[in-house]
Amino acid sequence: MSVSLAKTRRLLPPRSQLLLWRRTFSRPALHAGRDPPSSLHLPPFDYSPPPYAGPTAEDILAKRREYLSPSIYHSYKSPVHIVEGKKQYLFDEKGRRYVDAFGGIATVCCGHCHPDVVEAIVNQTKKLQHSTVLYLNHAITDFAEALANKLPGNLKVVFFTNSGTEANELAMLMARMYTGCHDIISLRNAYHGNASGTMGATAQSVWKFNTVQSGVHHAVNPDPYRGIFGSDGEKYARDVQDIINFGTSGNVAAFICEPIQGVGGIIELAPGYLPAVYNTIKKAGGLFISDEVQAGFGRTGSHFWGFETQNVVPDIVTMAKSIGNGTPLGAVVTTPEIAEVLTRRSYFNTFAGNPVCTAAGLAVLKVIEKEHLQQNAHMVGFYLKERLTALKDKYELIGDVRGRGMMLGVELVTDRELKTPAKDETLNLMDQMKELGVLVGKGGYYGNVLRITPPLCFTKEDADFVADAMDLSLSGM
Amino acid sequence: MQRQLKKSISIAKRACFSSLRPSAAAAAAAENAPPQLPPFNYQPRPYNGPSADEVLAKRKRFLGPSILHFYQKPVNIVEGKMQYLFDESGRRYLDAFAGIVTVSCGHCHPEVLNAIIEQSKLLQHTTTIYLNHAMTDYAEALASKMPGNLKVVYFVNSGTEANELATLMARLYTGNLGMISLRNAYHGGSSGTLGLTAVSTWKYPVPEGNVHHIMNPDPYRGAFGADAQRYAKEVQDHIEYGSSGKVGGFIAETVQGVGGAIELAPGYLKLVYDIIRKVGGVCIADEVQTGFGRMGSHYWGFETQGVIPDIVTMAKGIGNGLPLGAVVTTPEIASVMAQKTQLNTFGGNPVCSAGGLAVLRVLDKEKRQAHCANVGSHLLDRLRSLMERHDIIGDVRGRGLMVGVELVTDRKEKTPAKDETLVVFEKLKDLGVLVGKGGLHGNVFRIKPPMCFTKDDADFVVDALDYALSKL
Repeated sequence: MSVSLAKTRRLLPPRSQLLLWRRTFSRPALHAGRDPPSSLHLPPFDYSPPPYAGPTAEDILAKRREYLSPSIYHSYKSPVHIVEGKKQYLFDEKGRRYVDAFGGIATVCCGHCHPDVVEAIVNQTKKLQHSTVLYLNHAITDFAEALANKLPGNLKVVFFTNSGTEANELAMLMARMYTGCHDIISLRNAYHGNASGTMGATAQSVWKFNTVQSGVHHAVNPDPYRGIFGSDGEKYARDVQDIINFGTSGNVAAFICEPIQGVGGIIELAPGYLPAVYNTIKKAGGLFISDEVQAGFGRTGSHFWGFETQNVVPDIVTMAKSIGNGTPLGAVVTTPEIAEVLTRRSYFNTFAGNPVCTAAGLAVLKVIEKEHLQQNAHMVGFYLKERLTALKDKYELIGDVRGRGMMLGVELVTDRELKTPAKDETLNLMDQMKELGVLVGKGGYYGNVLRITPPLCFTKEDADFVADAMDLSLSGM
Repeated sequence: MQRQLKKSISIAKRACFSSLRPSAAAAAAAENAPPQLPPFNYQPRPYNGPSADEVLAKRKRFLGPSILHFYQKPVNIVEGKMQYLFDESGRRYLDAFAGIVTVSCGHCHPEVLNAIIEQSKLLQHTTTIYLNHAMTDYAEALASKMPGNLKVVYFVNSGTEANELATLMARLYTGNLGMISLRNAYHGGSSGTLGLTAVSTWKYPVPEGNVHHIMNPDPYRGAFGADAQRYAKEVQDHIEYGSSGKVGGFIAETVQGVGGAIELAPGYLKLVYDIIRKVGGVCIADEVQTGFGRMGSHYWGFETQGVIPDIVTMAKGIGNGLPLGAVVTTPEIASVMAQKTQLNTFGGNPVCSAGGLAVLRVLDKEKRQAHCANVGSHLLDRLRSLMERHDIIGDVRGRGLMVGVELVTDRKEKTPAKDETLVVFEKLKDLGVLVGKGGLHGNVFRIKPPMCFTKDDADFVVDALDYALSKL
């Protein structure tokens, strides 16, 4: 692949906080209209996994059927058996290397088994794993302080949980108590969790069991690709006002959304939407909860938090997934004023804030900074998106390429005008890419969106490999 | 100390208090020096991190005003080894509370550590969308510990998540919404489990859905003593008068933890399970605190009541401190989960699964269940002797290493001795024993140590308690 000097481009809107990064990349335009590569070579990686001697894939599948939930599912017709991970790569039982373009669902941000994170976990595990907050320990406070420092305004109080679901449950509880109102508004196509309250906020039928989920209203999704108002954020925002005027007492507890919907298929909210909704909610006495479970920690590249891409400052921020590079950890950050509501009774989370997970969390923050992972997500993500957009020009099947940084989506449709979801083709493409050595995710209500949310240490070579693999696969379909 | 105590107790109580003058034997004991920790061949590493004051200041600033801590001068715990904890000055404490009944094998147990470390270096997280043997190996091992047809395992990250899932399953399986839990129960802090939880301290004023709280079959404070039949009739009455005649499920801890180590009246669960099942409900056993051999006589708490539940939830001790929870149920009940999709991102991750499996193996290999029975009965015997000498001890209860000591200012009225409990609690800490506290009135000591607790440790706890009570 020839490399030509590209003009240094101003890649960011003026209000971005990123440094300008002088690097040369081959221009994506070179690949447009080119024949797909006849063969693919994984980017080089100086590591060979030790031979695997554990249970086979068949054994595991049999045990999953016998001992695990009947609703447990796996990707691919022929599931991948992953035994080891290192940085942005995963290895199967035969030692075959895959490019992990899904990151364990946008969770592994530093890279699989990143040495700094593993070291923090190992060191703390040998010292003290668990005692609860009933006793003092500095691991939780060190991390809380570092985390709070990453947030703007008065978002300074941190509550730790063990998952995104727990974090969103706590956020919803706090908002309801703070306002004295029960009604919460979320977006159609959202995903916020699977416990009693959060299942209500989640808004895709496939994730909602037939139980009572009260007090949540779902607003029209400001989806630039499929939504009725296209990219007109303000028009969508009026639906929120309508819900408040006609569906509630006129006051609400909160509005909750992901700045970029993850499970829903990497949907960026239409521009101008959040600032308009924010005003509406504030007038109704409500709080704004930003679910940063997938978009947070630099994944969007341009900003550390997803809400920063929308120019609003939330009242409550929830996070999980990337926060610990895979260790079970979640957090809620809010203002001292809102945090105060929990003093009305007692709230306690046995595992949350344990020394091991908080040590890991702190290590993650340090790695993100030290290795400039946010900047990397921006540069490589931007490059990858351009390559994918070039593929869209080439293949009718690609209806939309969207997202930001290392949170990208490729929506497949059988008809570009009607936007008919190409569900089978998506499954087929995922499988083919897997055969070529690329693991991507799937999302969207129709299951027709490829989700690309790799570890943030993903390189340009990895990005090329993903795009080439997609190109090669699509050419054969 | 005595002057301070008299200041804090009202005049009315002072009359009762004077009757608590220690007996002659205890007075003699009080003369002696405070008891000494059993020996332990380990020196903690020197600590160079933030001091207790610095940590406390940061907690106030970054962790919110609602964060709880024990003790007026909270302990800065920096290291743990088996049943002991060390503070910043290297002082050793006997951990008689195990991080709230969580550290089952012992702090930083080498085998559990090893499993965690090895797996962390190999693969930490991918989710269940790819295959990996750690989760299935562990599910199989856990299922093999369950009786009856309880063999489908769900992994989650906490007891709260486990109970949320169990409730969801019960409602879906039965098609009924009504849940029944016991007054004084604790089942979690999320929106659904807050409804099941029935101690006002923990219940925020939010809607709780279709849950009813039934009279607690509390042998010590309950209206019917240990008469299980009469308590069970309450459940029957509720169903007939307070519900549509059908229920979704009944959930209970076999020994209430947060509620103050209260064992349900013997025979209660058998009766209630029958009643619930007759009206189409499912029975959920919350084993978050009682599971994994802690009870001594049995591996699971529900076994002490001679029942087999339909759904079992667990957490805490399951991973020796790893954020892990599980729900085990029958294939029939599990089948309802196939109606929709559910994925718990972190649940069943290789590290927690490897850690969980190591815990099961350690507890078996080190015969911890038998050990709990042994040490537990010794502990209970000694506590009951102590009760004969100190009137302030209203009740000693529990089984294995799940023990409660309730303090009352009047044995007949059973008036909770809240202030005295706090004083003794602090005193115990000063002597080197970290116990827990529970009950609605905060007047119950919870003694639930790591299961490697020895007879010498038990003696130390009792001696320390004796000493502290004698000084009241």
